[in-house]
Amino acid sequence: MKSVEIKSCNSRFHKNIGKYTVSLNDSCFHCGLCVEICPYCVFERKDGFNHVLAPNSAGCLGPECKEGPYYCTTKCPVDAIKIELDPQWQTLGDFRWTPELIISTWQQAETGEIPSGNFEYKIGASGGGFDNFDFAVDRLTDMSSSDINNIITSDKISTSICLNRRGEGASIEIPVPWYGAGMSFGSISLPSMLARAHSAKAWKTFTSTGEGGYPDELIPYCNHVITQIATGLFGVSEATIKRTPIIEFKYAQGAKPGLGGHLLGDKNTPGVARMREAVPWNSLFSPFPFHSVYSVEDHKKHIDWVKTINPDALVSVKVSTPSDVDMVAVGSYYAGANIINLDGGYGGTGAAPEIAKKNIAMPIEYAITKVHKFLVEEGVREEIVLLASGGIRTAFDIAKSIALGADGAIIGTSDLVALGCVRCGNCESGRGCPRGIATTDPELEKQIDYIWGAQRITNLYASWQKQLKLLLHELGLKDIKQLRGRTDFLRRIDEK
Amino acid sequence: MYKRYHIDTSLVELSTTKIGKFEIMRNDACLNCGRCMTHCIYDVHERDSADPRIMADPVNHLCKNCFACIQNCPYHALEMVMNKEFEKLGNTYWTPQVIHTIWNEAEEGKIPVLGSGYRGRFRGSGFDDIWTDMSEIVRPTRDGIHGREYIATAVDLGRKLAWISDFRRLDLPNSYEIQIPMLLDTSPLGLNSKSIILSIIRAAHKLGTFAFLDIENYGNELKPYLKSIALRCPLDKITNLDQSPWKEVNFIEIDLPRQFSISELELALKKLKSENQTALISLGLTDPSLSNGILKQFKEERADILNIHADNDGQSYEGNIFICDSIRKAQLDLVKERMRCEITILAKGGIAAAEHVPKIIICGADAAVLDLSLLVAAGCRVCKGCILNDCPAEIEKLDPEIAEQRIINMICAWRDQLLEILSAMGIRDVRRLRGEKGRAMFYEEIEKESFEFIFKENETAK
Ligand code: SF4
Ligand code: SF4
Ligand code: SF4
Repeated sequence: MKSVEIKSCNSRFHKNIGKYTVSLNDSCFHCGLCVEICPYCVFERKDGFNHVLAPNSAGCLGPECKEGPYYCTTKCPVDAIKIELDPQWQTLGDFRWTPELIISTWQQAETGEIPSGNFEYKIGASGGGFDNFDFAVDRLTDMSSSDINNIITSDKISTSICLNRRGEGASIEIPVPWYGAGMSFGSISLPSMLARAHSAKAWKTFTSTGEGGYPDELIPYCNHVITQIATGLFGVSEATIKRTPIIEFKYAQGAKPGLGGHLLGDKNTPGVARMREAVPWNSLFSPFPFHSVYSVEDHKKHIDWVKTINPDALVSVKVSTPSDVDMVAVGSYYAGANIINLDGGYGGTGAAPEIAKKNIAMPIEYAITKVHKFLVEEGVREEIVLLASGGIRTAFDIAKSIALGADGAIIGTSDLVALGCVRCGNCESGRGCPRGIATTDPELEKQIDYIWGAQRITNLYASWQKQLKLLLHELGLKDIKQLRGRTDFLRRIDEK
Repeated sequence: MYKRYHIDTSLVELSTTKIGKFEIMRNDACLNCGRCMTHCIYDVHERDSADPRIMADPVNHLCKNCFACIQNCPYHALEMVMNKEFEKLGNTYWTPQVIHTIWNEAEEGKIPVLGSGYRGRFRGSGFDDIWTDMSEIVRPTRDGIHGREYIATAVDLGRKLAWISDFRRLDLPNSYEIQIPMLLDTSPLGLNSKSIILSIIRAAHKLGTFAFLDIENYGNELKPYLKSIALRCPLDKITNLDQSPWKEVNFIEIDLPRQFSISELELALKKLKSENQTALISLGLTDPSLSNGILKQFKEERADILNIHADNDGQSYEGNIFICDSIRKAQLDLVKERMRCEITILAKGGIAAAEHVPKIIICGADAAVLDLSLLVAAGCRVCKGCILNDCPAEIEKLDPEIAEQRIINMICAWRDQLLEILSAMGIRDVRRLRGEKGRAMFYEEIEKESFEFIFKENETAK
């Protein structure tokens, strides 16, 4: 495959957030030694000026500095440098997305490289599920950088997966074992959607429209955009079904299982309402479930219906994770689906009741094993593609899903984090995301230039692919497909 | 005329609950350029009203953690820290987040909805080890709070007939239908504030449910609400009761001490029956293991309701049994005795969030008894020791109407969340949820089912 273009792509903000704060006290006489010795450009002096500028703290690695812990403080002749843990660090992130995960995802989006600092970029701190597993081999640090480079650029390790494993129909292969989840127009802004589509095209993978209709601006990317048909049927038409290679039926979503999609009134701007053929400024609650589907036979009828309109399209079925999710998966297989997308409860990007996210339906980790096992027992596992979503944050979460039995994963929140999301959770109402990502406010959405955004997502994906290749190499595998179901590679952290 | 049950909510703000999670600090580098004002869409940053050349102090409790101002300030003058006052709220069970959530529910009466996924731990202990089920594809239509179809949250308190033996003589036992599976309790912290007691009882009255009241707190001002009061009395005081208000209430609970003699209990129950034939009689127990003596009182129809008491953290007073397990045990015992359907089980203690109500019902309770959460709705911060005159939430001085409406708001939000849970399961009547363990996933079981085989295999491979 021709490689995707990786370009460094800086943060769009004046100030970056870091773990340490570096300050200079009054005894500093601006000798400029720190400017010379800091390997991470924390200190700066503009040409022709005497004064050292206020330190750029975000670059500082504190005790992890490669020259030695708090290196500059020991070298400053007048002890003017003070490095402390930034109290702001605590205010960032949460158990699932720790501050280290957020910042290292930003770094990957900037550089396209595997994070080099000492931030934990693989795992969160929620204490269970993915955060309680790691891979039994993990010795990446022993390798020289040229070894690593050979592996991550090697064509001999494949990360591609096939999205149609039935004997008939279109064959679609994606070079990385993931594609983008549905995020509707209305939930996120048009520039955010375009950024995702642009990057999906660059990577020859997919993104999904979500349930808010198919904006015309996405048409140039139509070979990489999945049309979602959700219970609200917003903006679904024959044209949108015809132009897509994959049709996704959203029966339920993990963040609000058993409840329809939520778009609160404030975000239903006239533009969004036009797309959804709805009345502006009214809250839109999609029904649950499809009021035309009460059985697997009805479900089959649905699939037949879209296959009549677009015979070449693959069909994906998105379901959340009730206790009988295994039966649902097998039912979907018999109804003719190509892809089963299990959406676990701990992910999600749009507005959802807090009670639903935490309490309804099981976390994705359980669902993957349960469904994989059942499909194997039923003898149909090799004919269907099982993708996991809802709480997949990192390349390692993807690898763990695959080791538990999925073929690949579907990514939502991480795309947004690449665009600069801090996971503050304010996107549900009012003007939406103050950082311009999940908003429909015409002023706020200007903050994102979609070409910039696409590059950020592209870079993140590049770093992920490198991590997967390295991991496969470490595990002695040549192909991500060989990792599927290899639970023997996994180890529980709490039992180490 | 048929009227749908409806709870009226209204916005009730309380200045003592304006404690944000974050604090924004502006340092000397600020040049008052005003850029933070445009970037903050929550009005944290404004210019000083007296001197518009400078910025006013940030209005911290409005800050929502988005970092937009911090990262856009050209002079790096802003920084965010955790608000110490927020972190000091509550304790390890009633965490600052739990308290904050109740405050928001009490203020607006709405379901908390946020963007961008779940942020908590994978699991916790107690209630946080249970996930409720949902129904996919194949299921009847339920649209939750936004639907047209009615989902019933009513439950019956009191005795039910196990079967009907003679259709000509149908004297049904006493029972009351309440429209929400929640009862209120006025004795959360041994707090004797008259005004908060009045607000809780009035809230119960408006909601059409009962509020427990310790007999020593009864006063004439509560007389208009007698029908909504569940009078609670320690066992040793029953025998020398005076007339009022015993004859007029519909619900009486005997608070049983750890040690008591069954004959004394029997005597007390008989006396109560002779004074008030129609009231529901409840036994308040701290020990979930039901002795034969207790079971006998239920079998012989002297008592109708079992109320299992735990402390504010949901722990039984007898040892480390969590309220969920107490209820599951009591439920199972009564099923074994073949009398579960005839009597009512209530759970008091540790019910701190909306999801606890359906979860305790799944464990086997008919309804939950809310106690400390009501006080939190009124602004309580769950301080370590509760000293009334020094209460930071000024509970004593609170206008009873404000507290009442905030309690009603919280309960409305909790009921709506219960509806969401029921609708996700495709259940249209909360009575069907009772003891439905099959509609929940318990951590121990599901972890075993999904992962044990994996790690067992790995173990043996080594
Ligand atoms: S509002 Fe916060 S959580 Fe939502 S997209 Fe914006 S930064 Fe992310
Ligand atoms: S943006 Fe920064 S410098 Fe400008 S007013 Fe705000 S804090 Fe001051
Ligand atoms: S962090 Fe966001 S919400 Fe808080 S003051 Fe800054 S811009 Fe406003």
